[in-house]
Amino acid sequence: MTVKQFFKSQAFKCIIVLLVIALIAGGLLAILNDVLYVTEEERTMRAIEKVYGEEMRYEELSFEADKLSNDYGTLSKVYLLENGNYLVQATGGNGYKGGTITVWVVLTVKDGAFNGIEKVVLESYEKQTLMSKLTYDVYSAHNDEITGDVYFTTGGDGIKVLISGATLSTNALNNAVDCALQFAREVLFAKEAA
Amino acid sequence: MTGKRFKTIAFDGLLKNNPTLRLVLGTCPTLALSTAAFNGIGMGLAVTFILICSNVLISLLRKTIPNAVRIPAFVIIIATFVTIVRMVLDKFIPSLYDSMGVYLPLIVVNCIILGRAESFASKNTVLDSACDGLFTGLGFTCALTLIGAVREILGAGAIFGYTLWDFKIEFFTSSAGAFFVYGLAIAIFNFIYSKAENARRKKTFDLRIMPRPDVSAPDNLDPEESEKAQAQADGAAETAKEVK
Repeated sequence: MTVKQFFKSQAFKCIIVLLVIALIAGGLLAILNDVLYVTEEERTMRAIEKVYGEEMRYEELSFEADKLSNDYGTLSKVYLLENGNYLVQATGGNGYKGGTITVWVVLTVKDGAFNGIEKVVLESYEKQTLMSKLTYDVYSAHNDEITGDVYFTTGGDGIKVLISGATLSTNALNNAVDCALQFAREVLFAKEAA
Repeated sequence: MTGKRFKTIAFDGLLKNNPTLRLVLGTCPTLALSTAAFNGIGMGLAVTFILICSNVLISLLRKTIPNAVRIPAFVIIIATFVTIVRMVLDKFIPSLYDSMGVYLPLIVVNCIILGRAESFASKNTVLDSACDGLFTGLGFTCALTLIGAVREILGAGAIFGYTLWDFKIEFFTSSAGAFFVYGLAIAIFNFIYSKAENARRKKTFDLRIMPRPDVSAPDNLDPEESEKAQAQADGAAETAKEVK
């Protein structure tokens, strides 16, 4: 096939048509992405609004990677809110089928010291099939002033939160909250004290 | 487009070829996103918008796109609209965007959209294709909302997020419950549809037989015409018997 024949062939027409469609689609998406882009700040504001029901100013805190993981799970975001409380995103493991639950936890501060948990709000989960059993009451069961070195648990000596029929999912939820608790005790307030 | 054509397309999309309950297409989002009626409406409307837009564009380009590369071209067009819907939902309705999760980008490979593009939009006019997209999408939306409402009422004791009562059966919010309600919905819909279709056919045959000419009554009827009419009436009666 000569070059001239190629330019007149069906194959060339196919290439051109696909190329033109892809270019127009790509250009359109690039413009729309610029217009509809959701910034990281906007996402954080949404998360705060989801927890508090209103927008609130915040300051993002950064920590070394090893301080953001502990016995119960890992933390991905830590914010200091304008009302003095801390908002952390924690992920707890050991759920159903080894899955995880990620929640936002509001850690309250009283007289410069850690006071307890004000709110726990679900962010996302993996592999948990009975999440509908974890109703509002289950999340609010974690809201309290917490004195001493206790943690939430599905059994044992800690503060017991257990939903029968969804034991493993409750376990992952407790682990997520405990992850935030341990971070507050051993990193956040230990750091402030230092 | 004539009124009759419009009615046929609407009837096909909503009932006769309902993508969810008759053709059993788009099963993946149907099972995954029918946990609540609101999710069903959201997904249905997103698919409807993409169906209309992709059908219109594919119909416009049907004579330009070479047959050999029509499928990749359709996929690019559909993927573009899906991405636009994702961006819009993420920006303006984040709660719906979060609840749809991975099933929103998966609309790109939704059999309903690719199926209508291949079997209808690439062979029909722009207006017909737009109507087909609208009614197929509405058929999908209605089915998803119906299944979602049943699962939400029975599984969470609520409808559109409003609590109705404390009684709930967890089974209906699980994956097994989704299969159960979906299967039941298909069975009930097809039972009612086949009953209605049989009744319609019977009515059509009856109407054909009803105007049986009374060949003996009129005196002014030509004897030859009278014999012909009698033969026609007998033939119609025989056909009706055979069909019955």
